[in-house]
Amino acid sequence: MSLIFRLSWRNLFHDRLRFIATVVGIVFSIVLVTVQMGLFLSFDRMVTTMIDHSPADLWIVPLGTKCFEDPSLVDERERFRALSITGITQALPIVIGFAQWRLPSGGTTPVFIVSSDTRVGGLRPWNLVEGSLGDLAVPGAVAIDQSYFGRLGTKGLGASAEIRDQKVEVAAVTKGIRAFTTTPYVFTSLDQARAYVGTPPNKVTYFLVRLAPNADVETIRSQLRMILSESEVLTPSEFRNRSRSFWLFGTGAGAALFAGALLGIIVGTVIVAQTLYSSTKDHLTEFATLRAIGSSSWYIHKVIICQALLSAITGFSIAAGVGSIIVDATAESALPVLMTPLMTVGLFLLTVVMCFLSATSAIVQVIRIDPAVVFTR
Amino acid sequence: MTETVMEAVDVVKVLGRGPSQVKALSGVNLALAGGELTLLIGPSGSGKTTLLSILGCILSPTRGIVRICGQSTAQMPPEDMARIRREHVGFIFQSYHLFPTLTAADNVRLALDVRGEPSGSAIARARKALAAVGLSHKMKSFPRALSWGEQQRVAIARAIVGNASAILADEPTSALDSDNGQAIMKLLAEIAKDQARAVLVVTHDPRILPFADRIVRIEDGRIVGEERGRAGRQ
Repeated sequence: MSLIFRLSWRNLFHDRLRFIATVVGIVFSIVLVTVQMGLFLSFDRMVTTMIDHSPADLWIVPLGTKCFEDPSLVDERERFRALSITGITQALPIVIGFAQWRLPSGGTTPVFIVSSDTRVGGLRPWNLVEGSLGDLAVPGAVAIDQSYFGRLGTKGLGASAEIRDQKVEVAAVTKGIRAFTTTPYVFTSLDQARAYVGTPPNKVTYFLVRLAPNADVETIRSQLRMILSESEVLTPSEFRNRSRSFWLFGTGAGAALFAGALLGIIVGTVIVAQTLYSSTKDHLTEFATLRAIGSSSWYIHKVIICQALLSAITGFSIAAGVGSIIVDATAESALPVLMTPLMTVGLFLLTVVMCFLSATSAIVQVIRIDPAVVFTR
Repeated sequence: MTETVMEAVDVVKVLGRGPSQVKALSGVNLALAGGELTLLIGPSGSGKTTLLSILGCILSPTRGIVRICGQSTAQMPPEDMARIRREHVGFIFQSYHLFPTLTAADNVRLALDVRGEPSGSAIARARKALAAVGLSHKMKSFPRALSWGEQQRVAIARAIVGNASAILADEPTSALDSDNGQAIMKLLAEIAKDQARAVLVVTHDPRILPFADRIVRIEDGRIVGEERGRAGRQ
């Protein structure tokens, strides 16, 4: 084993207090970035969760729709125009909108109604833990997520409440369908949804278009664009990007999360740079000795980079542990912090890059070192 | 006749700039031959250490030529100077400059590690060098656990482990008591018996004069005298 590793490790560990400060700085920084990025990822998934769980090949949306939650309406006649095109097998209407859920204890809370014709495979609730899709066909039946029981003042399956003065009964319960707006999703049938959100019978929010197996998406999209005057035709990917763009960047929420993550990176870089710089300064005579006995600049740089890497690995290992605890602790919350293997790898690389950047201040200091100081110190 | 290992020809060194400029060396000529222990003596500020630094390729002369094993260092970039140092020069410093976080064996091995020598052979050579300076039993000791004399021996082992053509020692006995100083000088005299290796010791310690093959006196940046030492006359 080269002495570089041993020298680096012992230089770092020699001053334990400073090493602990460095590691704490890295942990603080990476945990902050993890939380911000985890929230961003969670937010990113939540804003597109309805689109992700819709079996659509194309979406017909009102002109200028910004996101899935946009309450603009499109005329029901567009459906028949769409169905006139060869290759389109279904154009399933979807009605969404905000409504007030009256709590059994009095008072109301806003909910977000999502509905489609569940019998023919539209946008249906998923992850059902109680009840079935068939149960939603019953008048007044709704499906809610178990994480919102408290918010909706309900005890679950069979519980009653009111939406817009109409009695509803929880006929199905889902798990993990959470809204980033913290407004609970309520799944129901189309007719009921119209009544709850006040959508006229000849209007819908979207059409979820399904194509025949061999149909060409682009060809059909072009044909749809030609015959639909007041709506747009989007692929699921385009609709997803539009929703993401609106919520993450149009509202500033994403920018705030990014700013937090950036702040974490800057704080971490500064802390590591400061400690590496002062560590190098303390060992300047040793580096000058190395230079005097003939080491190349690169050898010394390798010692500093190795110190940075060791700090990165130690700091990241602890930060990953703390991150996992946070991920577990928030798993059932309204806005869980998500962590994916790719994000873990990305955070590790970020830690390494951060420590490398921090090492540059120390390297710049060493570049200027005069080996002749060994005769004066 | 032994070969010249290291040579300074008409070397001038100006230190500093502007009004604080000082001419540290004024046309110095000095050649060090293999198998010879040369003492460079002179009062403080006479240019001893500056000359040592220039011969050891740590400083470049303002004017003049330095040759190490026949190779001129004129116009050499810093990285090439570092290469010359690691290939041909072994340094012994007044304050030892051992790495406090490394063991004696690792401190010696460092001189080989910077050359890129594989660990296995570097460890073996470091052990041999420490044995040569009588510290076989202190291989795993850290500098803080060694006496000053032992620390200087480790520094000598570090200087000789790479078979340097020239060993340059800056006041190697000044921080040591008489017994340790004598022991260190005996060691350096032993090292200087190698015909391929020159040893230059900068000092103002009169107690070590008997160990010299040759004594060179420097004052105000000029060589003012040279004589054969007692060891050289034997």
